[in-house]
Amino acid sequence: MTFNANRVDSRPPLKPPSDIASRPRGVALSSMASHRWRALAPLFVLVVLAALISVANPNFLEVRNLIRIANSASVPLTLAMGTTFIILLGSIDLSVEGAVSLSAMVLVLLAANNLNDNNYGWAAVAAAVAASTVMGLASGVIQTMLRIPSFMATLGTWFIGLGFSVFMLGGSAVRLVDPALRGLALSRFLGLPFAVWIAAAAFAFAVVIQYYTRVGRHIVAVGGGEDVAELSGINLVRVRIAAFGLAGFFYGIAGVLAAAQLGQSDAVIGDGRMFAAVTAVVVGGTSLTGGEGGVVNTLIGVIIVTVLSNGMILLGISPYVQQTAQGLMIIAAVALTLDRTRLKIVK
Amino acid sequence: MKTLDAFRSLLSAGSTGWLRNVAPPAVLLVLIAVIGIASPGFLRADTLLVILSDTAVLFVLAAGATFAILIGGIDLSIQSVASLASVILAQLLPRLGLWAFVVAILAGVASGFASGLVHVRLRVPSFVATLATGGVVAGLGLLASNGRAITIEETSRLDTTWMNQSLDGVPVVVIIAIAAGVASFLALRYTRFGRRCMAVGAGEPAAWAVGINVDRTKILAFTVSGALAALAGVILACRLSSGSPNLANQTLLPAIAAVIVGGTAITGGLGGVERTAVGALIISIVRIGMTFVGVDIFAEQMVFGAVLIGAVSVTIDRSKIAIIK
Amino acid sequence: MLAAVQISKSFVGVPALSNVDVEVRPSEVVGLIGENGAGKSTLMRVLAGTHRPDSGSLTLDAKPLRLRNARDAAVHGIGMVFQEQSLLLNLSVAENVYFGQEAQFARFGIVNWRRMNLAARRQLEKIGVDIDVTTRTSELTFAARQMVELAKALTLEESTQRQLVILLDEPTSMLGQADIETLFARVRALKARASFVFVSHRLEEVLKISDRVYVMKDGRVVAEHAADAVTAPRLHEIMVGRGLQSEYYKEMKQESPGAEVLLETSNLGVARIFRNVDLKLHAGEVVGIAGVVGSGREEVTRCVGGFLPQTNGMLSVAGVPTRIVSPGQAVKAGIGYVPRERRVEGLVMFLSIAINITLANLDCVMSHGVIDYRRERNLAVDWIRRLRIKAPSPDIACRNLSGGNQQKVVLARWMNAGSRILVLDHPTRGLDVGAKEEVYELVRELSAQGKGILLISDTLEETIGLAHTVLVMRDGEITARFDASRGRKPDQVELLRHMV
Repeated sequence: MTFNANRVDSRPPLKPPSDIASRPRGVALSSMASHRWRALAPLFVLVVLAALISVANPNFLEVRNLIRIANSASVPLTLAMGTTFIILLGSIDLSVEGAVSLSAMVLVLLAANNLNDNNYGWAAVAAAVAASTVMGLASGVIQTMLRIPSFMATLGTWFIGLGFSVFMLGGSAVRLVDPALRGLALSRFLGLPFAVWIAAAAFAFAVVIQYYTRVGRHIVAVGGGEDVAELSGINLVRVRIAAFGLAGFFYGIAGVLAAAQLGQSDAVIGDGRMFAAVTAVVVGGTSLTGGEGGVVNTLIGVIIVTVLSNGMILLGISPYVQQTAQGLMIIAAVALTLDRTRLKIVK
Repeated sequence: MKTLDAFRSLLSAGSTGWLRNVAPPAVLLVLIAVIGIASPGFLRADTLLVILSDTAVLFVLAAGATFAILIGGIDLSIQSVASLASVILAQLLPRLGLWAFVVAILAGVASGFASGLVHVRLRVPSFVATLATGGVVAGLGLLASNGRAITIEETSRLDTTWMNQSLDGVPVVVIIAIAAGVASFLALRYTRFGRRCMAVGAGEPAAWAVGINVDRTKILAFTVSGALAALAGVILACRLSSGSPNLANQTLLPAIAAVIVGGTAITGGLGGVERTAVGALIISIVRIGMTFVGVDIFAEQMVFGAVLIGAVSVTIDRSKIAIIK
Repeated sequence: MLAAVQISKSFVGVPALSNVDVEVRPSEVVGLIGENGAGKSTLMRVLAGTHRPDSGSLTLDAKPLRLRNARDAAVHGIGMVFQEQSLLLNLSVAENVYFGQEAQFARFGIVNWRRMNLAARRQLEKIGVDIDVTTRTSELTFAARQMVELAKALTLEESTQRQLVILLDEPTSMLGQADIETLFARVRALKARASFVFVSHRLEEVLKISDRVYVMKDGRVVAEHAADAVTAPRLHEIMVGRGLQSEYYKEMKQESPGAEVLLETSNLGVARIFRNVDLKLHAGEVVGIAGVVGSGREEVTRCVGGFLPQTNGMLSVAGVPTRIVSPGQAVKAGIGYVPRERRVEGLVMFLSIAINITLANLDCVMSHGVIDYRRERNLAVDWIRRLRIKAPSPDIACRNLSGGNQQKVVLARWMNAGSRILVLDHPTRGLDVGAKEEVYELVRELSAQGKGILLISDTLEETIGLAHTVLVMRDGEITARFDASRGRKPDQVELLRHMV
């Protein structure tokens, strides 16, 4: 087929006009606009939600209440940081509750408690986080080496982690006695409980990882286009294992905080937390298919979920409605923020 | 690395063709044999019958989930639906008698339909859609029961005791489970709907191109899932003589696991209810068998998790999944 | 410098390359031309390390070169700019340029964005492009992305001292004239530092930029010329060079079409894509539509098939005005669509032949309201025999069949459904010569049965050979109509004039 060099260019506009000269930056305006809008939607939702609640009950905006919100968001936020990285990868992590249970168990048995004579203090914290991280790494290894879907791999490690916790705690609750560790949840710094500061630090750490480290960028890349990433030489196995290990790390911190907040730990300390974490990630706008969104989105998502439950308490709404409301919220959030133009097949 | 490669080739050998079809029942038989050797009491007829009864609820739940998974999605709302159904049954038995069963199942139908609608019309991935509808249904369950468990009183027990009887030595629940299983199997194999489910799951673009109404097929699949989940909830309520918003807690993941371990592909299109039956038995037997073998009751979940991973590694068909993530 | 020696490669038994020898010398642009399926892309991928040859070898500076993956190739200074782009759309431009090589900007795992952005800007300046490196790649135009890909390939400069080899796989197929000139200017400017292999369909273009040209046909290199020693028409001849083998397309079997109009469109259009399409398809007629990428012909067939709803105009099937907005409606109207992506849209690969054949009309195997498996099996066996599908049984999954046999299953399905109108979208793509001939045979048979066929083909030659009437489209409109009856086949050159 020949090409006539004298022909005036008149492509049918299937793709945006490709004239670099007239648009110096070669940017297609239409896709940029809708993308930005979609990214800001969760923030918009949060603002509207907060506005509605504070109109119905001005106590919402009281400092004391805001601190309460921050405090109850601490553990979910830390958890959701870990889950976000897995979802960015395009996978799913069901082992959250098992990891939290494991980490809390290790902490509570190694620090000063009412069951044995251990008193390892901060070393116990390190051990707890390490245990949970190892469990995460195991999830990653199982998923990549045995080549089974992350759903099944993390389902398995969930049971193993939880089971180990049950095994060690024998079904009873063990009280955490160490005052310094309890202080994590009870003592305050600048008016906010330490737990809030730790969660904030976890968030900052997650931001650095997602936006400033190679492993974080690779996780986003693999989630956005695994085959393309592989072509450019990325070691997929290593990225996946790292992501799961990273998630385990965050779960470990969350477990420590949870035990500190409750003053004790039993095997079911993790119950219900996975649904909350996934809800937060999804509502925040991170895509389940991977590569889109991230920890900042999740922050908004966690705040939305926490504000919602706080608001419902303030407004005297039955707590039973809360789950219903959360469910409806997920649907609305996903329906609004999903980039449907790109999704032909929705599974 | 060499041993890993050898191990991997062993795994992949098990995941193609006839070997893959044989793997789940083989795993089942091996399990039964191992447990039977370790504890002969396991192989008695009445023990096995109890196991079947205990598996009934899990199987009905998993059979519903099989439909959702076969079309390429997943249904995370089944446990909430089951619980809601139990609450509805417990609440309405005094007033409606046996009609309460019908209402409870209809609630499941409605829930499944809603899940399907959200998934298809709003183009929300089924994971999220059913997570959401599951939450909504859970909330409804809490509302309908005021957060408490509702005992099925003596007066209403007459309507439920039949569930706990046996017919010629076979427990009624087992008969119901088998009936549900057979009906599902026949539907998937011999009806247009069943054929469409397989096509949509195995190759949605091609199914669409050939003129199959993909949307309608998916909605119907989720509706069936909801209906079976409600059936499971109702059975459970009768067995425990109570309805509660938490009644079916901890059943979601074993149900999904039963489907996958049975050999249905998590990406859809391949497998069926007969496989889920084997998978449900495996899950159930691992659970129950652990007590027989003398596994520390507190170690049970660990063992379960490990066995689950092992079983999936063997039965999963990797050739059907492009990217495993 | 870089040479491919006697490279052969087959996919699923179909040979894509047979004993290919090519050479890339320092500071030169090598053009690679050939029809669709000639093997150009495969050769490029072998050079780029993404495919490994079944036999033969690569040499670099006369030393044997074994490439395991694209990374290996990159280390040796070989990079490819892909036709379907290899950029990660959810990352920024700078990240894409340096993807996989961030280590040089990172300390303790933390990336120094300022340095990377600066370096990326420098890379883009090298090719004279001004794009904000922090932009999300998905927001760029296609042409801009092409430039980023080029910049990315050029970063190889920093990892090796030697001359680079940049493989450009159809970089201009989506570009406008101005952008093509820009691209060519860059390439010329970079010749000191790199050699290029340039693949394109457009012969004038290739001659303009290349120093030497290889012509490929059916997996072999059939000619090599210096660019200034050959003309586009001559290249075309070599490329197609089949001479008028009219029996290849079974022209002797081409009968005149009947009078019944099976499909008629009047002013058919889809906003911004094509317009004013008037066509009449008679029983027993093959209407071929010719046109380059972007001419709108693909969309016309997608519209008739129900995948792309029309926005204006009218379409009628057997005289009845019909509005087709989904494939289901098309099927009901008696239209059978044989898609280009047969593995995705044509067949459900994991299901059996029998199931695929009956999928469009299950009614034929239902008895008493349920599927009769025995009837289905017998039906499938019958079709296997009639179409000579090479399969041991009707129960094997379609993915185990060769491309040609898969295509036959698709056709069997529509024949089983009684479709009177068939839309063939690149029906012989990816098939070997023998399979192609069988498809041509089937086309003649279907015509003889009174079916109407709408055809889009990979090559002009096939279109002209098979059709009774050829419509030529350009920029969304029909620009010419040709009578292609037996014995009166137009010349390709005549069509080309209206295509570009």
